[in-house]
Amino acid sequence: MSKKKVFSIAEIILGIIITVVTLYLNFMGSDHSMRGWFLIVGLALILLGLYMLPSERHNQIVNFLFLLPLVLTFLVTVLIPFALGVFYSFTDWTGVSYTEFIGFDNYIEMFRSQDYVYSFFITLIFTILNMIFVNIIAFLLALLATSKVKGRNFYRAAFFLPNLIGGIVLGYVWQFIFNKVLTEIGPGYMSMLTDPNLALLAILIVSAWQYAGYIMMIYVTGLQSVPRDILEASEVDGANKWTTLMKIKLPMIANTFTVCIFLTLVNSFKQFDLNLAITNGAPSRIVGGKPIMSTEFMALNIYKTAIAKNRYALGQTKAVVFFILLAIVSLTQVYISKKKEVEM
Amino acid sequence: MKKKLLVALLIGAVGITSLTGCKASPDASPEGEQQTEQGSGEETEQETGEVQNTGDAIRIVNGKIEIDRQLKAFAESYKERTGQEVIIESLGGGVDIGGAIKGYLAAGNMPDIFVFGGEGEYEVWKEHMEDLSDEPWVAETEFAFVGGDGQVVGFPYALEGYGITYNADILEAAGVDPADLTNAAAYKEAFEKIDSMKDELGIDAVASVAAEAGEMFWSTGNHIFGYYLSLGLDRNDDTYIDLLRGGEVDEERLGMFADFTKMLFEYSDPSVLVSGTYDDQLALWAQGKTAFVTQGNWIDPSLPDYGVEFATGIAPLAFLEEDTKGVLVDSPSWWAVYNESQNIQAAKDFLNDLVFSDEGQEALIKEAGMISPFTVSDVEPSTPLAANIKTYVDSGDTYAWDWVKMPEGIAQNSLGVVFELYAKDELTKDEFIEMMGNALAEYVAN
Repeated sequence: MSKKKVFSIAEIILGIIITVVTLYLNFMGSDHSMRGWFLIVGLALILLGLYMLPSERHNQIVNFLFLLPLVLTFLVTVLIPFALGVFYSFTDWTGVSYTEFIGFDNYIEMFRSQDYVYSFFITLIFTILNMIFVNIIAFLLALLATSKVKGRNFYRAAFFLPNLIGGIVLGYVWQFIFNKVLTEIGPGYMSMLTDPNLALLAILIVSAWQYAGYIMMIYVTGLQSVPRDILEASEVDGANKWTTLMKIKLPMIANTFTVCIFLTLVNSFKQFDLNLAITNGAPSRIVGGKPIMSTEFMALNIYKTAIAKNRYALGQTKAVVFFILLAIVSLTQVYISKKKEVEM
Repeated sequence: MKKKLLVALLIGAVGITSLTGCKASPDASPEGEQQTEQGSGEETEQETGEVQNTGDAIRIVNGKIEIDRQLKAFAESYKERTGQEVIIESLGGGVDIGGAIKGYLAAGNMPDIFVFGGEGEYEVWKEHMEDLSDEPWVAETEFAFVGGDGQVVGFPYALEGYGITYNADILEAAGVDPADLTNAAAYKEAFEKIDSMKDELGIDAVASVAAEAGEMFWSTGNHIFGYYLSLGLDRNDDTYIDLLRGGEVDEERLGMFADFTKMLFEYSDPSVLVSGTYDDQLALWAQGKTAFVTQGNWIDPSLPDYGVEFATGIAPLAFLEEDTKGVLVDSPSWWAVYNESQNIQAAKDFLNDLVFSDEGQEALIKEAGMISPFTVSDVEPSTPLAANIKTYVDSGDTYAWDWVKMPEGIAQNSLGVVFELYAKDELTKDEFIEMMGNALAEYVAN
C-alpha cells in the first residue's frame, strides 16, 4: 500500500471519528460552543481524504464531490422535508411536537371526512373544466397572435400581462369586480360569488383570464416552429386555412399540446391563491344534509386543516395523498400524450 | 501538482461552505445560570429603580400589528428608564402567527415573550410557557389566562368588547333609547320602528351584518355565536361551552338565539349580508346608511377614516326574553413568557412595568386606544367605543368570551357555513338548530 493511500485512509477515518463524536455530543445535549466547527472539520477531512484517495474510480469520486453541494441542497430542502412529512402523517404532530405514532389513523379519518372527499371532487371538476377552458382560449389567442392581424405584438404582450400580476392581488381585484361592479347591472342582482355553481364559474373565468396568456405564448412558439416550406407546399396544393390547421399545424405541434395540457392540469389541480382570494371556500351549500364549503379546493382544504384547525398531522396526511394523486394524474397524462405524439 | 492542490483546496472550500449552514450558534449556557441568581435579587433592585441589565435585549412577538408603533415607542421609553432593550416584532395582517412562532421554535429562535390566542394554542404551547402565578400584576386583573393546572400563564395586555354597535344619532331620531335594548322583545320593537322610518332617517337598512362564510366567518361563527355561549352567565360559568365541548347544544337557548339571529339577518342590508367584506359592512354603517353594526370596539381606529361624527355606543345582542345588561368583554389574546428564555426575569419585569408604570398604561390606553384589564390603572380611554366598553367593565356588566374555548377553527370550517346558509334563507329555524347541533357534534368528535 502506498504512503499516499495510507495517509488518505487515515484522513477519512479521523474525519469520521470527529464527525461521529460531534454528532454524539450534539444529541446528548452538550452545549460545547466549538461543536459546529468540529463537525465542519470532520466532514472536510472526509471529503479531502476521499479526494486524495488513489483509486481507479478517482474520476467518479471527483464528479461526486463536485455534485455534492447541489445534492446536499436538494436533500436538505426537498428530500428530507418530504420524508419528514410522510413520517409526520403517521403521528399526532401538532406543528411543535408529537407524542405518539398513530399508524394509519390520520388516513382513515381523512377519507371519512366529507369535506375532504367533496373537495377532491370539486377540484377534479375544476381541473377538467379549467384545462379545457384555458387550452381552447389560449390556442385561439395564439392563432390570432400568429395571424397577419395588425398589432399582433401588442396582443401578445396584452394577453400575457395578467400572468405577471400575483394571484392574490388578482383575486381581490376580481372579487371586487364580482361583488361591486357586476352587481350594479340591475337591482336585485346578487353577486356571482353567493351561488355555489356560479362561484366556481367565477374562479374559472379569473383562472382562464390569468393563465391563458401564458399558455398562449407556448402555443405561439409552437405555431412559429411549423416549417414554412410545408405550409407553402400545402398552399400550392390548394389547401384552405381550415385544412392547413387541422392537417398540418395541429399534428406538427402535438408536443406543444402535451406541454400545455400538462402545465394547466398540474396548475389547476394545485390552484390555491385565486381560490383563497376570491372565495376562500365560500359560499356554502348543503350536501347530503351537511353544510359544506362549496369552492374549497384541495390545496385550500389542506391549508385550512393545518392552519385554521391546527391539525398539522392531518393536514400533512392530506398533503401526502395530494402528492400521490398529483403524481398519478400527471404521469398518466404524460404517458397518454406521448403515445399520441408518436402515432401522429 | 500545484493544480491538484488548488482543486483540493477548492473542494475543501466548497465542502465547508455547504456545511456552514449546519453550524450551531455558540450559545453559552452558563449565562442562563447566572440569570437565575440575578433574578432573586432583582425585586429589591426594581424598587430602587435600578433594574439590572442582563445585557441581552428581550424580544416580543406581538400579534396585534395595529399597536406596533405604540409598543415600539414604549420600548424606547423603557430603555431610557431602565437600560433594558426591548425588541418588538409585530405579526399580523393575515400572517399565520401561530405558524410563524412554530417556525421560530423549530429554528431555535424563540422570542422571550410570545402571543397566543386561547385554549387551543395553550394546549400546543403549554410545555413552553413560564408560570407567572407569582407576578404582582396577577392580583390586579380578572382577565389573566389560567392554564388547566391552575397556573397563570397568559398576560392580558388589553381588553376588547363587542355586541351590536349603534349610531346613537339615528336611534335618538327614531325615539329608541339604547339603554332599553336588553331583551329580545325590545330589539324586535326597536328594529320594526326603525325599519318603518327608514325614509325619514335616510338609511338603507336597520343593521349592517355580514354572514359570508369565506371571509366573515369570524363575525358570525365566533362573535355572534359567542353570545349564545356566554350571554347572562357569570364570568366563570362554563355551562354552554362545556356542553359544546361535549358536542351538545341547549336546543331551547339555541332556538331563542336562532330567532334573534334571523331577525338580525332580516333587517340587514341583503347584499352586504351574503357577499360583504368587513370593509363593506363597516363602511355601510359608518356612512350612516344603517343604525347598527355587529362589531366591537376594535372599529374605533377606523372611525376617523370614514369621518364619523355621530355618537356611538355598544349594546348587548340580548336574544333572551329576560333582561341582560352586559356585553362580551375579554382579552383577545395573551402574552406568554418562554420558559427556556435566557431573559425570563427581564421579560417579567417588562410586563410588570407595562402594568404599574404610568408610561405603560398611557401607551396601551391613550396611544393604542385599548382598554386596560388592570384595576390599578386609572387612565381613561379616549376613543368613543373603548370608553363605552370601559363603563361596562367598571360596572361589572361583562360576560366572558367563552367562544375562544371552542375547538380551533370551528367557526371557519364549520359554523360560519351554517350561518351563511341561514342568512341565505336556505335553512328554516328548526333546520338551523339541527344542523348547528350536528355540525358541532361532528367537529368535536374529530
